[in-house]
Amino acid sequence: MTQYLVSVLTEGAIFGIMALGLNVIWGWSGDFDLAYYGYVALGAYMTLVLTIGRQPPPVQYILGLELPYPVAVLLAVASAMALALVIGLIALRHLRGIYFSIVTLGAVYVLYAMAGQFVPLFNGYQGLSGLINPMADTLGIDFNSYQYFFLGLAIAVFLLVYFFMSRVSSSRFGLALRSLREDERAAAAFGRDIYRLKLKAYVLGAGLGGLGGALFAAYLSAFNTSAWAPLETVVLYAAILVGGRGNIRGVVLGVLIVYVLIEESTRFLPEIPGHPGIVLALRPIVIGAALILFLRFRPQGLLPERHYVDRVQPAAAEANAP
Amino acid sequence: MTAAILSLSAVAFTLEYAVTNVANLSHGEILTVGAYAALVVHQRTGSALAAALAAAAAGGLLALAMHAAVVDRFIRRGTPTLVIFIATLGLSFVIQNLLVIRFGAANVAYTIPSGAPFELGPFLWTAVDLEIIVSALAITAVLYLIISHTKFGKALRAVSQNRELARVSGINADVVASATWFLAGLVAGYAGFILAESVGTFNPSFGFGFFLITLTAAVAGGLGRAFSTMVGAVIVGIALEFVGGYVSAGYNLAFAFAILAVVILVRPRGLFVNARRSVFE
Repeated sequence: MTQYLVSVLTEGAIFGIMALGLNVIWGWSGDFDLAYYGYVALGAYMTLVLTIGRQPPPVQYILGLELPYPVAVLLAVASAMALALVIGLIALRHLRGIYFSIVTLGAVYVLYAMAGQFVPLFNGYQGLSGLINPMADTLGIDFNSYQYFFLGLAIAVFLLVYFFMSRVSSSRFGLALRSLREDERAAAAFGRDIYRLKLKAYVLGAGLGGLGGALFAAYLSAFNTSAWAPLETVVLYAAILVGGRGNIRGVVLGVLIVYVLIEESTRFLPEIPGHPGIVLALRPIVIGAALILFLRFRPQGLLPERHYVDRVQPAAAEANAP
Repeated sequence: MTAAILSLSAVAFTLEYAVTNVANLSHGEILTVGAYAALVVHQRTGSALAAALAAAAAGGLLALAMHAAVVDRFIRRGTPTLVIFIATLGLSFVIQNLLVIRFGAANVAYTIPSGAPFELGPFLWTAVDLEIIVSALAITAVLYLIISHTKFGKALRAVSQNRELARVSGINADVVASATWFLAGLVAGYAGFILAESVGTFNPSFGFGFFLITLTAAVAGGLGRAFSTMVGAVIVGIALEFVGGYVSAGYNLAFAFAILAVVILVRPRGLFVNARRSVFE
């Protein structure tokens, strides 16, 4: 039971980090990015190729270094951000709405095909493995207590991200992003550089995705194309939407509900004889239905974002005018 | 071959878009449901014709249900189209996994004896190939007649240009939109049947994979414009055959999206757009 709880909490913390990253892009900046899980995957792949060293053929992949885990995590985040910068530079320039979504969907499928088909990159469909309990030796942690250490690490990183995001949320940058989401033209009229702001948000969010991926890689100790699918992003969107788009407390609540409640509660349903996999299929049905119903009946989520009001109310401003 | 199937699927998608302004991300599931309906009916009756009709009917009903149960409800509330787009993505999740529950996630085989290949011009043909191409051309011709020469087609074009203006000139826009979705569903369901026939196996995510290529074709041709979409589909279909033949079929999707990204960036309104905007261009 404790084992189980530990794994649920670790996964929850990791998905929480990813959801907070996506919230920057969709919640604040307002771009429906379908490439997001690509940044998670890139973070995971990069962490692996930077830490597991060389392996005998036919396994082949780029780099193959044996860097310490924390360094690899930083580089993985940097590579996710670099990819996001490239995609963002192209996609955010003129495209909005569904056109932006379609281009990012395309980008992530290209990435998926590359990861799966182009063997010299990340060993194709076989994927990468061999990152077992990073930092255990240097810190002298034995095999049994490692899972607690990793849970602590995941939660610590999650809390750091959370506090960082709560600062960003009320910063000038966070407010500026929301102004873009609400009315891009008005924001531009007030002198905001839309392209730059959106790009910054996109890269920041993708970096958090890469961070989540780097932790996920260490948690799974391996990564391949069956460990992720481009549309996994939808589950993150459902979490953000159910909790409350734009409100980081809401996002965390959404992750708790969608990942922990839906994913875990279906685990205990009895298998119906003669229909294997029915429970596995129920989960996306519930998530898809939740997405539709929340969009229709409660688009602001369970914990709505606070309404920001202009401190200078129109009436007061008029009274002050000379 | 791919081009023929692709053009049916893309035209259906673009018709859905034309009357509602919604890019239906669960469009691929209409094809999948069509394929499963064909399989079930074919096993029961043993007739390919009945299977084809069943596929079209199932597709039409599903599209009608999608429109009535999800898309139209959002539109009535004036929801931004991006939100409806997201909702259709959720719908795609739901339908795919309902199919997993009913039919299982594994591939099912669907083979129709295609007869001995024969030569016609420079290519080798089978009866199935011929059936697919001839029926695709016939459906295209019928669609052309419906859209350009009937009262319904006129209403459809009016609604796609401006829903409010169409309404004030006495067109029942809601009925036209529902009917268009039904028509698109018929075509897409049939496309699912011929796609299953030509591929030979399918599973619940079969339509979604093909939808991604459909999306490329529709956007390349021009979203919401039926006939330029067809041309886009033929171009994308032929381009994909080349990639599949000379590079590797595994990169098909990636290649399709590369085309798409370039088209969207260079000509976001499609390749064949002139000043007059209508479903016709």
